[in-house]
Amino acid sequence: MNVPKNTEPLKKHCENHEKCMQMIQAVLDGSATEQEIISFKANMGVCLPCIEGHDLQKSIKEALQQKIEKKCCPESTLSNIRQKLGIASALLVFAAVQITIFKVLLES
Amino acid sequence: METITMTEERAEETNVSEETEIKVPRYSDSEKYVVFNTEFIPHIDSMYNFAFRLTNDEDDANDLVQDTYMKAFRFINSFQQGTNAKAWLFRILKNSFINDYRKKSKQPAKVDYQEVETTYNSESTDSETTTDLRTETVQDMIGDEVATALNSLPVDFRTVIILCDIEGFTYEEMAKILDIPIGTVRSRLHRARNLLKEKLRSYANTMGYKKAS
Ligand SMILES: [Zn+2]
Repeated sequence: MNVPKNTEPLKKHCENHEKCMQMIQAVLDGSATEQEIISFKANMGVCLPCIEGHDLQKSIKEALQQKIEKKCCPESTLSNIRQKLGIASALLVFAAVQITIFKVLLES
Repeated sequence: METITMTEERAEETNVSEETEIKVPRYSDSEKYVVFNTEFIPHIDSMYNFAFRLTNDEDDANDLVQDTYMKAFRFINSFQQGTNAKAWLFRILKNSFINDYRKKSKQPAKVDYQEVETTYNSESTDSETTTDLRTETVQDMIGDEVATALNSLPVDFRTVIILCDIEGFTYEEMAKILDIPIGTVRSRLHRARNLLKEKLRSYANTMGYKKAS
């Protein structure tokens, strides 16, 4: 967060920092309520602990998103799933064919 | 105060309702395969990563993913096309993990949840422990270091961070996946993050990250 434009000195102490941090996190997570977005905007220019808390939280969120290795599911797992379901589908097709034959026999 | 037992009970309850098959089938047999292939399979890498972060074990992760997909197929009629397939799948995976895997987990004895909460819930602890951890330090860390810190969190805390920060679910989606109210999502996430900051800070200290002056 950039240095605020107003000339008022920043608050060095935040009266309710835990609550502020929940609000800041909700904003960063894209899950904030309208009321929280309003208080966030009002607060971020004036309170140093909140500005620092925001920047730290943002850097941690970005590190989690961007730096942690994303693995690919092994091919064997996918083929196991398909195989198990493939057997089931083969049975279903078999049953469907039987029913059709039965119907044809009945109708003839 | 929540406890692990309560979370487990809840999960088991919801698991039952989730697995109650819908009486009128939504899909024909061939439609089932189409839904499965187009809506479920595309999430398999995210599912695998979630499973791996929960179990910390590749074999367990593979089993968990397979079980989840078999369940998803079995209960496909309770999935409505066009709704959030990823959240639906994550919920099944999370419930399978709690009901089947957590019990036989290879991990060391789990951290007492209440103890963790009381330790990291106090406001004074929060502001003191985070003053040391700087934005620049976090930015300098490599992925493995961040992953190690994340993995060291108790699984309930790890889960909310994975869902929120790595997978990008909203609080509302997380509430559905975890079967908890949104208020609990918010507070648990907040506590999880305080704990993660604490882990990152002590990690940074032991690894000798320089404090910028
Ligand atoms: Zn503040």
